This record gives sequence, C-alpha cells and structure tokens, in this order.
Amino acid sequence: MADSLRSRLPTLLGHPVTIALVVSFGFGGVVIALTGGDPLTAFSEMLTGGFSGNGLRNTLGRSIPIVGMALAFSIAFRAGILNLGGEGQMLLGALTGTMLAITLPGPGVVVVPVAVLGGAVVGAAWGLLPALGQTRLRVPLLITSLLLNYVARAVTSYLVRYPFGEPGAAFASTAAVPETARIPRFEILGSGRISISFLFMLGIVVAAAIAYRRTVFGYETGMMGLSGPFARFGGVDVDRHALVTMALSGGVGGLVGTHLVVGETYRYIDADMIAQAGFAWTGLMVALLAFNRPIPILVAGIFFAGLQIGGFAMERATDVSWQLAQVIQALVIVAVVSRFSVGRKRLRNLEKEEAVAEAEASHVGEV
Amino acid sequence: MLEQLLDASLWASVTRALIPVLLAAIGGMICERAGVFQISLEGMMLAGAFAAVGMAHVSGSPWAAVVGAALAGVALSLVLAFGAVSRGGNAIVLGVAINILAVGLTSFLLPQLFGVRGSFQPEGGVRIGAVSIPGLSDLPFMGPVLFNLSLLGYLALLLVPATWYFLFRTQIGLRLRGVGERPLAAETLGVSPTAYRYAAVMVSGVLAGLAGAQLSLGNVGVFAENMSSGRGWIAVVAVLLGRAHPMGVLGACVLFGFAEAFGFRLQGQGLPVQITDALPFVVTLAALVLARKQFRRLLDLTAGSV
Repeated sequence: MADSLRSRLPTLLGHPVTIALVVSFGFGGVVIALTGGDPLTAFSEMLTGGFSGNGLRNTLGRSIPIVGMALAFSIAFRAGILNLGGEGQMLLGALTGTMLAITLPGPGVVVVPVAVLGGAVVGAAWGLLPALGQTRLRVPLLITSLLLNYVARAVTSYLVRYPFGEPGAAFASTAAVPETARIPRFEILGSGRISISFLFMLGIVVAAAIAYRRTVFGYETGMMGLSGPFARFGGVDVDRHALVTMALSGGVGGLVGTHLVVGETYRYIDADMIAQAGFAWTGLMVALLAFNRPIPILVAGIFFAGLQIGGFAMERATDVSWQLAQVIQALVIVAVVSRFSVGRKRLRNLEKEEAVAEAEASHVGEV
Repeated sequence: MLEQLLDASLWASVTRALIPVLLAAIGGMICERAGVFQISLEGMMLAGAFAAVGMAHVSGSPWAAVVGAALAGVALSLVLAFGAVSRGGNAIVLGVAINILAVGLTSFLLPQLFGVRGSFQPEGGVRIGAVSIPGLSDLPFMGPVLFNLSLLGYLALLLVPATWYFLFRTQIGLRLRGVGERPLAAETLGVSPTAYRYAAVMVSGVLAGLAGAQLSLGNVGVFAENMSSGRGWIAVVAVLLGRAHPMGVLGACVLFGFAEAFGFRLQGQGLPVQITDALPFVVTLAALVLARKQFRRLLDLTAGSV
C-alpha cells in the first residue's frame, strides 16, 4: 500500500486541484499580509472554525445549498449546457415553496412534500425558459439564463413586498411558515440539529452518481458535453436532452431555494434571499472543481462550506473579513481553469490540438 | 403623457445610463474581433468602480481614481489573458470565475481597507464631474444630451468612430480581425495571435475599469457592493446584438440606456422600483429573441464546452 501511495503521490501532488489549492491559499495569504493581517493565524482559525465541533455541524448545514446548487449546475454542464440562471431558479422556487407551506391546510406530512415539489416545479419551469429559447429560437442559453436572474429578482422582490408581504413588517418578508409545515430537523454530532434536507441531498448525490454511470440518459448527456455534434451524429436527441437537463437543473435549484426557507429561516426575507442566491455561484465553482462528478461534488461542497463557516470564525477572531473565503474559492477555479498543473510537454501538445481545432472552427461561420 | 415621458432630460439620462455600458461593450467588441469571447466585463467593471473610489479616497484626485480603475481592470484582464490565451483554458468558464472573483475581492477589501460594509463614499466626496463644452452645451436638446458629459462620457462616444476607423481602416485593425477570423492564416503571415489577443483583452480591461469609474464616481459618487448589477452582462449582449460592429454596439447600448432611463421615469409615475429595475433586462431579452439569427458562432462555442 505504501508503494501504491508512493507511486500515486507525484500525480496527486501534480493534480490540478492540489496545485490550484496551493496557489489560491498562497495568494490569499499574501492578500491578508498586505492588508495588515497574519496569514497563519487567519488560516488556522478558518480551518478549525469550519471543520471542528459546532463549526463542523454548521458546515454540514451550509453544504446543503452549496452541494445542491453544484449538482444543479453540473446536471446541465455535464451536457455542455452552461446554466448561469441558478439564482433565479432558486429564488422563484423558494418563494413558491414558502407560499405553499404557508397557505396549504393539512398535516405537515402532506404540506411539506407538496411545498417542496411546488418549489422544484417552478424552478424547473424557470430553467426551461432559456432552454426553450435555445432549442426553439436559437438564442444562446448562456446569456438568457443569466439575464433571467435579474428578472427573477425583480419579480420575487415585488411579490414579497406587495401581494405576499406581511403587512407592517420592518423589511420585505412573508409571514412565518407555520411550525407544522417546516422541514424537520434531526440530531447530528452531539446535541445540535440540522435539517433532514441533508439526507435528501445525499440521496440526490447518490442518485446522480448512479444515473450518470448506469443509465442511457446519463451516458447520452455526458456525450453531449464531450461533443454536441458527435452526440447528434450518434443519434442523440440533443434538443430534447437539453430541455430535460435544464428542467432538472432548475428543479434542483428550486428544491434548494425551498429548503433555505422552509427548512432554515422559515420566512422569505427579500434582502436575505438575494444574498443567499450567492449559493448558486459557490455551487457553480464546486461543480467546476469536481469536474461535474457527484461524489467529488459532495466532498468539494463540504470543503467550500467549511471555508465559509471557518471564514466567519476567522473574522470573529482576527478581523480578517470572511469574504476572503470567497476570494480563495474563486482563485481555486481560476487556477483550475488556467490548467496550472499541465506539464510543459502536454501543454505543447494541447496547443497543437487547439490550433487544429481553431483552424476547423474558423470555417464554421462568422459572428 | 407620452410627451411628458419623452423629453430632452430623458435623453440626457439615456446618455448617462448608456456610457458605462458602452465603454465596456467597446472593449468586449475588440476582444470579440480578436477571437476572445469576453464575459468578464461585469467583474472588471466592478473592480474598476471599487478601485476608483479607493484611489479617490486615498489621493483626493479624480485623475488618480481613473488611473486606478484602469489598472484594476487590466489586472483582472491579465488573469483572463493568461488563462484563456496562454494556457488555452475555457474563456467562458474563466470569465465566470473572474466575475465571482471580483465580487469576492471587492466585498473582502471594502471592510478590510475602509472598515465599512455595503457602501463607501470617498473622503471629500471626490466625483468625476461633467465638463460642459462651451457654446455647444447651450444648444437646445443636443446640449444636455451630448455636450454636458464627463470626460469618460466623451471618450466613450468618440471611441465609436475611433474603433470603427481602427478596425476597418488601419493595418493593425486588419491584423486584429485576421487573428480573430483566421488565426492560423494570421500566424502564417507572421502576425502573433497571442500578442494581439493579449492586447485586446487588456484594452477591454482598461475600458471596463473606466466604465466602473464612471459608474461609481461619475454617476453616484459612492461604491456599493455589486454595483455593476448586470451592466457588464448587458455590455456582452450589446456586442452580440451589434455584431461586434461599433455602430451596431452603439445602437444596442442606446436601446439599453433608453430602457433604463425610461424605467426610471416610470418610477416617477408610480410604478414599483422592482418592476422598473427589470425593464433593461426584459428589453435585452426581447432584443435577443428578435435578433436571434446571428448567434450561430456563440452556440457552436458553447455546445460541448466542458
């Protein structure tokens, strides 16, 4: 075993993710030092704060939306579809789920699943919009999915302020979700509790892992991601799969949104939810870091959640503000995408391949 | 009622609204011509807005603020150029990461450097003020709309014919387009695609940085977290809609500027802010659907982009 570890060590050390982590923590350390902090204390506060004791439980709780949004993004990105509309899909799903949980009569065992499902359906519908735009109208989904975020923000802000708003509240928010209609919590790591959404999320991770590897749909969408034209020639109904993956992607986004209110805050607060929509971007980064694979997404998602929770601890202890975690996360992605690890020789080969690809692509047509 | 909504002061606010978008879009257009799809304008704009306010606070000079904004844009543009041009990384994914990086860095540095959260006003209230052109600014209608802008505003408008001349009437412009359309051919002729793409991306960094300076110090006088709020993305759409042609890009920017200004005006008529804020994005989406035949290259680019 020691042998196999030794033989794998060079590739592990040279792995893109390892190098990206070293580069980004290094840069983060430089930034802390430049702004007058002590990098070592800050980082140790961050790691102990995020990965031990109560911090670890908070990390697991925070990993629910992060892993969820990473899965949502990866479902589409695996098929080569860049869904930048996670924010909007989350927000509209969240508001739908919240309003269903508040207004529906009946016992929790019925209301909660219906609310969650409703949130997922609306998230899916919002994800379908740009997909229909791309498949039917040939308008690039990359751009439309992103622009729709701003529309979704406006719509939810308006609804929370006027028709669904609680009259007399100090800030724009809905009424509270009644106790019977909340997603239950369970005990974990000692006396604390987290939402059962966590188990649900684990279930989705496993389901995705199986679906990607063992189903025709998983195989065909994976092929689309590797090469759209190839998949089309191979008889894959690319447009139909684009619609289905976007609906699934948006649906998971809606689930995450619903969890954030019906499982965590119990009130849809406009300003708070717009801030929480940032989970869509953290999730996107996690999916990129994990190369869209479900189990690595789980690991990377918990790691990123820990960096953020640790960031709060670091801020309390050292005056270095927690957004450093966000800086480090973005740098990890920049480093991974820039292929910091690719050896000189492989890089040269890649360039050759790219030159050929470009030469071919240049015949494809103009702007 | 329509007359009330469409007067000269409306058009003056149209120019004000379109200038940051236009500055960024011209940079994006140059990148597009050089064959680099630039979607990190949003992040570069935000970084520029922050750097401008930071430099204005430290130095008290709007000139230093403008230089700081340009440098911040260039710094981020080097990240894009290195990753996408030198290392052959995916420019779209990298662009998204740079946008997130800019949000993270600015909201990290705001409390770290200035001890505040949310928004920050530079000491002494330094602004990039409007400079009215004597004589011309008194013209009816045209005066307030075109001749009472900040220097960055005049720069943006002048860049439209200037980039047209550069792209279509100069040798360097021809080479830049060659690099974008037929990189292999350009290279065979001894024109380095790498050098041209680096230059194009850095120019877009400068312009997006300046757009940020106009946004923070020109339009409102403060930096607020996430203040670019989608304008960089609208600039990306302007490049697409304008087919990377200066006049087309200007036309698209006028459309968005109009939507923003008109939305603002409708607020005055009692429409909720939340709805009018969405207007530029709805108009943008509608324009994309109407102009949909031109996006084949982008669709090819994004299909199978893992």
